[in-house]
Amino acid sequence: MEHVRGPRPAAHALGRRRALSAPVVAGALIRLLGDRLGSELGDLWTDEDTVEFTIDGARTVEVLTTLRDDPDLEFFFLADAAAVDYGTDAHFEVVYHLFSWKHPAWLRVRARVDRAEPRIPTITTVWEGAMFHEREMYDMMGIVFEGNRDLRRIYMSPDYKSFPQRRDFVLPDDAADSPAAGVNPLERPETWDLSRFRDELTRSAAPTFLPTGERPGAEPSVEAGRTDADKSRPR
Amino acid sequence: MTTTDPEIRIPDPIELDRLEEQRLRAAAGLAPVHAEGGEYAGFDTVGIPDRPPQTEREREVYTLEEGEMLVNMGPQHPSTHGVMRIVVKVRGEIVVDVDPVLGYLHRGIEKLCENATYTTVLTYVDPMDYLSTMHNEHAPAIAFEKLYGIKAPPRAEYIRALVVELNRIFSHGLMMGFLALDIGGLTPILYSFINRDEVVDMLSAISGQRMLFNFFRVGGVNFDTNDEFLSRLGTWRANVLENVEMNERMITDNEIFRGRTVGMGRLTGPEAIALGVSGPNLRASGVPFDVRRAHPYSIYDQLEFDVITQEAGDSYARYLQRIAEIKQSIHLIDQIMDKMPHGPVQAQVPGIIRPKPGRAYGAVESPRGLYSVYAISDGGPNPYRFRMRDPSFISLQAIPKLMPGRLVADTMAVMASFDPVMGGVDK
Repeated sequence: MEHVRGPRPAAHALGRRRALSAPVVAGALIRLLGDRLGSELGDLWTDEDTVEFTIDGARTVEVLTTLRDDPDLEFFFLADAAAVDYGTDAHFEVVYHLFSWKHPAWLRVRARVDRAEPRIPTITTVWEGAMFHEREMYDMMGIVFEGNRDLRRIYMSPDYKSFPQRRDFVLPDDAADSPAAGVNPLERPETWDLSRFRDELTRSAAPTFLPTGERPGAEPSVEAGRTDADKSRPR
Repeated sequence: MTTTDPEIRIPDPIELDRLEEQRLRAAAGLAPVHAEGGEYAGFDTVGIPDRPPQTEREREVYTLEEGEMLVNMGPQHPSTHGVMRIVVKVRGEIVVDVDPVLGYLHRGIEKLCENATYTTVLTYVDPMDYLSTMHNEHAPAIAFEKLYGIKAPPRAEYIRALVVELNRIFSHGLMMGFLALDIGGLTPILYSFINRDEVVDMLSAISGQRMLFNFFRVGGVNFDTNDEFLSRLGTWRANVLENVEMNERMITDNEIFRGRTVGMGRLTGPEAIALGVSGPNLRASGVPFDVRRAHPYSIYDQLEFDVITQEAGDSYARYLQRIAEIKQSIHLIDQIMDKMPHGPVQAQVPGIIRPKPGRAYGAVESPRGLYSVYAISDGGPNPYRFRMRDPSFISLQAIPKLMPGRLVADTMAVMASFDPVMGGVDK
């Protein structure tokens, strides 16, 4: 199979930026969407194989049912449902990706959700398989899907209280924000003076990172042929 | 301790404990623990502190009728696929209801990726679905290339398709072995691993890693093909059909195997679509949905292949579908090697990529189905949002639909036919 290898052309000839433009084939889909959904359709946008638009969060079920059942659209398969947090001073978004035999583009439906009142109707009535997607979105972002009959946490334990994929989420063991901040001497600013830090470590009963020879009570290594680095390792 | 006087009854100490516990619980306003018929059993039977049910479905699963009990399968059990836990409500040997409990392997990969640069994201997604590592890297590579507005060179796209098909072959091959193992046949898994190791060694020769390949880059692949890879590929190609068929002969017509899979876990096409089941599991139910054909990525629009489907939709059909796809992938690899062009394998891309603000969706056909990535850029060096849709996570929803009325022992057999990988399910 040597024939597949050969001389390489210059790499700079490749990697040209490609234009982000709507494919010609998506034009029919865009006209259809305008016709069927009318005023529901907002912020239409396309890239090379995706058509996307925004809708009002409260109208999700009606819009997705139309997309699924209309004989010209037939977006029968829910490819993905994901939540996005646009920050504490903005909003959440639930993003649905749909697939249809009839159109050569993924359809992305973005539904805006208010951050102060994160509620949106469930689509488990449209696709049963949206259940795990919605449970994950509830678990990670704290979005409540009204009408979902099994909205439990799915990854975190049932007694967990926070929503870890929100932008304002801080891990409880993040040193600076933790109630236990300062337990480790490295976290206290006064120990940043290294001589004091060294004294403190020497005084403490806990094992230190000092070389073996300098640790109180330890015998200096006399073994021949060992480097300094080796001396610090436990034997 | 016995007594001859029928008037005096000395209660059993265990019963006394129970009565005392129930009295204390009633005083504290908690639900009774050991529920008699029709009462909510709570979670303490399966190891989580008792609390009232949160949802309608939870009440339904954990409410026991007369003669029913809850059995915990997993999370650490050799017959489960990874750290998978399912709570099974049984009446004798018959399954009444199933509740998958996930999250034992949750590592927060999406969150990790949001704090990594676009290049390093491709290393974080590797251990997700650990049997389809190449596919895990392919979808983010597609999404990031769309975001950055760059295309991989043609030779890189061919090498991508080549390694991805090799990965599909060993993943499907392992599924054959695992399914037989869960049914009780120990031998096929050993041969599956022999076949798999040949492919893994080959991929190790091209990528330098044995399992978590870290081979894809934004705008290309890490290495070109080398002599060791090509010679291993040649040897493997000469024997692969024979090896697969040998394994197939052991399993396909085995009477026990057929008895445990034919007609088991039958999923119709519309049901599978409603549940979001994808990939070979969906095609085994007769729906010809294959991302390689539906939305051709990479070079799949230049290759000739038909979308294979099965009619039955049962465990046996899902197994036959895997074998047919292995043979199809071998056929695809022949085409790829014939058409492979010369040229570089990596476009010129800076070390730290800062795409313009925007959104991109990349989807590939992984051995378990539709694996997709939705990435949002805010112009910075890391993705603002990185979302992965894992096929085995969604396919697991079929288990509670299929199992009621079946035997407990078939739960694992049906689950193995869906080929879930817990690394992907729990992200």
